[in-house]
Amino acid sequence: MQFLQVRGLAKSFGGLMAIHDLDFEIEEGAILGLIGPNGSGKTTTLNLLTGFLRPDAGTITFRGHNVTGIARHRACQKGIARTFQLTKTFLDFTALQNVMVGRAYGQQPARNLRAAAEEAKESLEQVGLLDKAGFMAKDLTLMQRKKLELARALASRPQLLLLDELMAGLNAAEAEDAMALIRRIRDSGITMIVVEHIVKAILGLSDRIIVLNMGEKIADGPPGEICFDPHVIEVYLGKAPCLL
Amino acid sequence: MTGKRIITLVLIIAVLALLAALPAVVSRDSIINMAVLVLLYVALASSWNILGGYTGQTNLGHAAFFGLGGLTTRLLWLSAGWSLFPSLLAGAGAATTLALIIGTPAFKLKGVYFAIGTLALGQVLNVTVGDMFPMITSLPVQQLVSYQLLPRYYLFVGLAVLTVGTAYVLVNSRLGLGMMAVREEEEAAESLGVSAFRHKLLALVVSAFLAGLTGGAFAFYHVGYYPQFLFSPVWTFDALMMAYIGGTGTIIGPIIGALFFVVAKELLALRLVEIHLTVFGTLFILVVLFLPGGFVQAWASIRRALVRQLGARGVRLASRRQAS
Ligand SMILES: Nc1ncnc2c1ncn2[C@@H]1O[C@H](COP(=O)(O)OP(=O)(O)OP(=O)(O)O)[C@@H](O)[C@H]1O
Ligand SMILES: [Mg+2]
Repeated sequence: MQFLQVRGLAKSFGGLMAIHDLDFEIEEGAILGLIGPNGSGKTTTLNLLTGFLRPDAGTITFRGHNVTGIARHRACQKGIARTFQLTKTFLDFTALQNVMVGRAYGQQPARNLRAAAEEAKESLEQVGLLDKAGFMAKDLTLMQRKKLELARALASRPQLLLLDELMAGLNAAEAEDAMALIRRIRDSGITMIVVEHIVKAILGLSDRIIVLNMGEKIADGPPGEICFDPHVIEVYLGKAPCLL
Repeated sequence: MTGKRIITLVLIIAVLALLAALPAVVSRDSIINMAVLVLLYVALASSWNILGGYTGQTNLGHAAFFGLGGLTTRLLWLSAGWSLFPSLLAGAGAATTLALIIGTPAFKLKGVYFAIGTLALGQVLNVTVGDMFPMITSLPVQQLVSYQLLPRYYLFVGLAVLTVGTAYVLVNSRLGLGMMAVREEEEAAESLGVSAFRHKLLALVVSAFLAGLTGGAFAFYHVGYYPQFLFSPVWTFDALMMAYIGGTGTIIGPIIGALFFVVAKELLALRLVEIHLTVFGTLFILVVLFLPGGFVQAWASIRRALVRQLGARGVRLASRRQAS
């Protein structure tokens, strides 16, 4: 059984084809990098996979279940969690309460709020925010908020985690930190789709990379191959030599 | 933490004791009537707060649920000869049914459309009831002769306790966490497994049930009024303003708001609906603009500032002691 299989996925906004006839699959346990120029349809793809958008055509099969056009909360309960390109933190909650939502409503939800609080601390610890548990989310830095959203998503116990530009806006040291974190999450057995603009990071992290351009898949393969694909260099990577 | 809890518990017991003993302490009916009004508004504002404050859905048609509860209870109790409690339950049930009927389509709409939709619902019911029941509803003579204020007062005590208690239990539960998550950031809540639709509907249904019960209690309490009166938008906007003035999304906020509202109205002798709306409307706008968390937030800020001051003085004292 394929872990995630996408066939013929399409979505347009008015006359604009944001995603056109997209096919791809992921192996369980892998990190799939999703890259492409601005507006190429990366966020749209994540939105389609998590029920935030309903596709015009195509099917999404996740662990043997058809999850095409599923409701947003059902996607999470079935094991597909996500973070957002622009953070959507519960600002007037504490960090712990933010994570408790995922633990109380995700897969195998906690029995009660007290259990949710205890188990949520594990996710905070996983991203290194346990000492901020009692802080109001609005008092956290951007980096901390991004980690908080990651902890929240992890607390819902997903099999598949979609990260939309987790590293955008972080400095080099913070991005290093985030990469190490993503690797640790993979090692804990969670499959991921990672959208990033930092080419070096995505090449280093991914087992496989898909390149989108204007809603179409223009390349799909291991980082070493993507790096030297002339079409990808032309539309996205530019002339700079590819450093692995 | 536990110290704070004990103080809260003692305060709650003191308030309950005071409410229970009030009729024994003050014998003037006017005071009891004022207490009834406070309790009514506590229930109405707290029930509004469950959806408006905790779930972030601005309901501008709360009077519809209050009114329908009142109308149903009055009809069953006075005209159909039902006894009181079944009539009250039927009133609350009617309000809940209305909530289910309008909530389902209304929550498919977002934000401002829900507010406009509920405003329209309130107005439609207001006009319809005015047309259908143009006559004043008065207690029959035998009821008037045996009218007792105390059972009515205690009914309102029970109602206020039930409403505040329900709100407290609900918002401190898993469902309450989900409701507040929907208020804070609906898309994020949904991405974490919370069905926004179900949580909004649940909050609306509980809110409407309690408002319907409050309307029913009013129908039992009041001697004579036009049925349309219970559907007046004044009920909605009074409840909303009290919640805002006291502090939405808190348990104590609507209680403080209701108390403030009734006492201030009495003190200012603003008995005329038009003037009180102007005064409280102005206050409401000021609160929304300058104090979005209401009195509760103002108090928290003052306390934080005091603690900081005292803390700073404590540090100064300690360092002076060390220096000497
Ligand atoms: N809800 C929407 N309504 C209308 N157009 C949309 C919507 N969402 C995305 N689009 C359009 O679809 C195209 C793809 O957008 P998408 O957000 O998927 O790009 P992206 O690859 O994530 O870009 P970026 O790197 O800037 O985040 C863009 O042209 C965008 O303007
Ligand atoms: Mg994007």
